[in-house]
Amino acid sequence: MSLKTLFEQNPERRYVMFGGKGGLGKTTFSAATAYWLASQGKKVLVFSVDPQASLSDIFQRDIFGKGPVKIMDNLWAQEIDADQHIRQYQNEIRQKILDMYGFDKVPDEIEQYIQAASAEPAMEESAIFDAVVDIVVEGSYDYYIYDLVPLGHALYYLSMAKVYDEWINKITHLREEMREYEEMVSRLKREKETEEDHILSELQYIRSRINASSRILTDKQKTAFFFVIIPEEMILVDTQKAAGLFAKFDVPILGYLVNRLIPRELLQQEIPAYLRNRIEMQSRYVKQIEKMFENQVVSFVPELERDVTGLPMIEKLAGIMYED
Amino acid sequence: MLPVKKSFFQNLKEVIYGMAAHDMSRYALRTRASMEHLFILITMGDMLGIPILPPYYSLRLLPYVVPQISTWKRRLLREKDISDAMF
Repeated sequence: MSLKTLFEQNPERRYVMFGGKGGLGKTTFSAATAYWLASQGKKVLVFSVDPQASLSDIFQRDIFGKGPVKIMDNLWAQEIDADQHIRQYQNEIRQKILDMYGFDKVPDEIEQYIQAASAEPAMEESAIFDAVVDIVVEGSYDYYIYDLVPLGHALYYLSMAKVYDEWINKITHLREEMREYEEMVSRLKREKETEEDHILSELQYIRSRINASSRILTDKQKTAFFFVIIPEEMILVDTQKAAGLFAKFDVPILGYLVNRLIPRELLQQEIPAYLRNRIEMQSRYVKQIEKMFENQVVSFVPELERDVTGLPMIEKLAGIMYED
Repeated sequence: MLPVKKSFFQNLKEVIYGMAAHDMSRYALRTRASMEHLFILITMGDMLGIPILPPYYSLRLLPYVVPQISTWKRRLLREKDISDAMF
């Protein structure tokens, strides 16, 4: 099945993700898909969850940390600036402490904790995770294209949703138990009502955020996940492994896109043995790919004459990926 | 303003509460306080150098536990002695 029919037959799949090893063309395909959908009259947001995002490079516009930036009619692109997000978040926490207790400044001990927590490596990922929830919950676009991080990170990102969820469940449970004791005391003292537990409502809020995001990642109706591969042995082995893990997390894998094929037409011409060998190697692996993933291969994309940056090249690639 | 004089029934109610339920509610409050400290430990454990997942969301809870932080640290870091068994 071609990519085009896949999109046309599944209009309710609004969350489109491209995953795969680093440097195989995730960003390029995200941009081309966003471009094609936008040119079909859909309102599209393509965004990157990668701290080393390259949407700025491909659209040749500086969009880092600027929120959704309009690229053309119907097409917006966004790169999340995790540091900025963290700073803003820290300030909200500080302000809340000052407001709640009427302090002039945040106590040293607390301030140190805020800073130490933000220096942790998991912080950046969590901040991006949270920012993505903001983006998708808002929900005013027809399509959301995720330009994902390389495989290892993506798995971490997926498992994080699960770990978070369990963590929250445990502490919510503890909190509810505490609540019971509190209510018992007020019953014994015959007080009319207990104070509302702000922490409990905060925990429920956090849980709803995490669930929103992991629900989307694993939604069989609304999500389409594609793997980007190239015809080389290492990539195939790793991708097959990763696909197994992704399936375990219930990610709906819709297909595989094969990138970087050297055009076979070249074989008709006088070409050096080096190139001939590479073409033959690729054909071998393409056969293997077709056997491995059978009818799940949705697109074969040739190596273009130059790298894909700027709208004209993106348009050209979109034309190849979404031809009839 | 003069303090409102408590009625006989009001007094009686408090005496009965003191006899019957005060201990129970004291005990419940103590349990509640231990759980509070446990709760802070699993959310803010990083403060004592115990790495706990995940820091991003635990920061959201920080404002609510600010007043308890110092008693919590004192309780968890203090040395145990014989008086612990007595109280």
